[in-house]
Amino acid sequence: MISSPCSTSAAGRKKQRTYFRSPPESKWRSGSQQLIYGRRLFDALRAARSGGGRSAISSRDIKNAADSALALTAQAQTRWSRALLFGCCSRRKVLLKAAGKIRRRRPPRPARKFGGNASPEPTPMLKGKKVTDRLCVLSRIVPGCQKLSAPCLLEEAADYVAALELQVKTMRALADALCASSLSSPSRESAPSTAGACDEFAS
Amino acid sequence: MALSSGAGSGNSGTYTPEITETMRFEEEIQSLMGVNLIPLGFECSPPVNAGSSSFTALLGLQPNQAVELLHELDPAPSPAIAAGASFRPFGCSPTFPSNASLIERATRLSVFATGDGSPEGSSAIPSNSEGDHSPYPKSEPPDSDSKPRRPAKRKDADKSSKAKSLTKKGKCFPGDDDGDSFANLDADKLPYVHVRARRGQATDSHSLAERARREKINARMKLLQELVPGCSKISGTALVLDEIINHVQSLQRQVEILSMRLAAVNPRIDFTGLDNLFTAECGRAAAAGPGPGWTDGVIRRNQQQHHHYEHQQPIWHVDHQQQQQQETAGWERDETPLHHHVFISGSSSGSPPGTSLFGYDSAASAALPLSSQLKSEI
Repeated sequence: MISSPCSTSAAGRKKQRTYFRSPPESKWRSGSQQLIYGRRLFDALRAARSGGGRSAISSRDIKNAADSALALTAQAQTRWSRALLFGCCSRRKVLLKAAGKIRRRRPPRPARKFGGNASPEPTPMLKGKKVTDRLCVLSRIVPGCQKLSAPCLLEEAADYVAALELQVKTMRALADALCASSLSSPSRESAPSTAGACDEFAS
Repeated sequence: MALSSGAGSGNSGTYTPEITETMRFEEEIQSLMGVNLIPLGFECSPPVNAGSSSFTALLGLQPNQAVELLHELDPAPSPAIAAGASFRPFGCSPTFPSNASLIERATRLSVFATGDGSPEGSSAIPSNSEGDHSPYPKSEPPDSDSKPRRPAKRKDADKSSKAKSLTKKGKCFPGDDDGDSFANLDADKLPYVHVRARRGQATDSHSLAERARREKINARMKLLQELVPGCSKISGTALVLDEIINHVQSLQRQVEILSMRLAAVNPRIDFTGLDNLFTAECGRAAAAGPGPGWTDGVIRRNQQQHHHYEHQQPIWHVDHQQQQQQETAGWERDETPLHHHVFISGSSSGSPPGTSLFGYDSAASAALPLSSQLKSEI
């Protein structure tokens, strides 16, 4: 993880827990992340296939596997990644609370003083209705970001966008590679000739 | 590697600037004192990964003590060591070329080291006990001398920063609750905000808090704008958010389509063979550098394979529409009749599993009946 350079300044030991949130571009666009994610995705696909046996592998399974792999690569440090990982689990709330510092909002929200306003409307004077609508829509799109404050929501969205780009790139490359390898086999069966195709690629 | 570093990010984050500092420091010493000293000196210490704390502690000792340690290890006299003997009075040696830079780095290192190094200094000492017992009695007293000074220095720095923030906030700092609000809202900066009221703006605590919050939001918005292509030109928060939402939705749709492709391709693939492929890709990509080269390489190679296209894999139609013109010449020899048949028939009965996917060509909406077809066949 890349930590911000101002974390260990000579000014001494300040609270440093927030310094480790690196900018999403540098984190997700590094080649190593792509490799890690690709590897994980591949393993997940293989596990899904072997688990399914002869039954058809639906696209939803693959999508879930890809999303879980992505969330794992994010190391579950963001809300959307935790929501993706634990979304299917029944004891979701407990796990979410345990895994992260998500504040549970009760429906009659107590009015907090300024200082970390948690509703999607941070500054009603500054932002019009349109912007709050868009923020609501965004919170619905990004998993696990319902009822999040605007700065947190925007940060999660930035991380999510970077992660999605990585996911699309890796999946496309993987699909192309898979198609190419199965394509190059002259016979209908793929098993014996895939190895030959792989040797071609490897050389 | 990323996993382990991520798991330990709470600790290692504080070490990495130190380690880079110590690396540079080590290179400096190396260049000045001859190469033979350094490998000897640091062979005895545990490897950096396992004992990163001890490594920094090793250099968290006063730098002249580290030099002494190195001296102890290499008993052979040499002009380099004789020159090194003059290093001990670090501050006043005129023969030391880059004196000032090293001193500055030494002080910085010692500032780092006292907070982190003091618990590890004691642990490093038994771990380094492979015959270097003699330097330690020497090194410990000066270290303990320096320690009480430095925490005092840091406390002074803290106090001065606090005083600075208080004076800048001035008289409008009525009580504790505002102090709490300041502490709360700047969770991503230092606990004390060094804010000078701009000309014409109120120094009211409320407006200061609001301004800080707005700046946070604006910073995040700018980050998002950079991330989403084409958003930098758009002005206006609502429109930018529109663009962002569209971008996220399109990315999610692409993921769905790709997952459908993968699902369609999957049953045919022998994964053990592809394992080799993938590791080869990883190896090459790791050697080549950043990710984009990898994907481009894969795609380019795939394009070369197209010339030997068999009618088996119609999935290509979805994404490689532009290459169809190149390949129709190769296709037409054996698959035109089949092509027509499938378009006419539409359903999958009787035709081999692959060719039914020609229907995929028409629209993305055809994908849903497509997957059901797959299920019926497989």
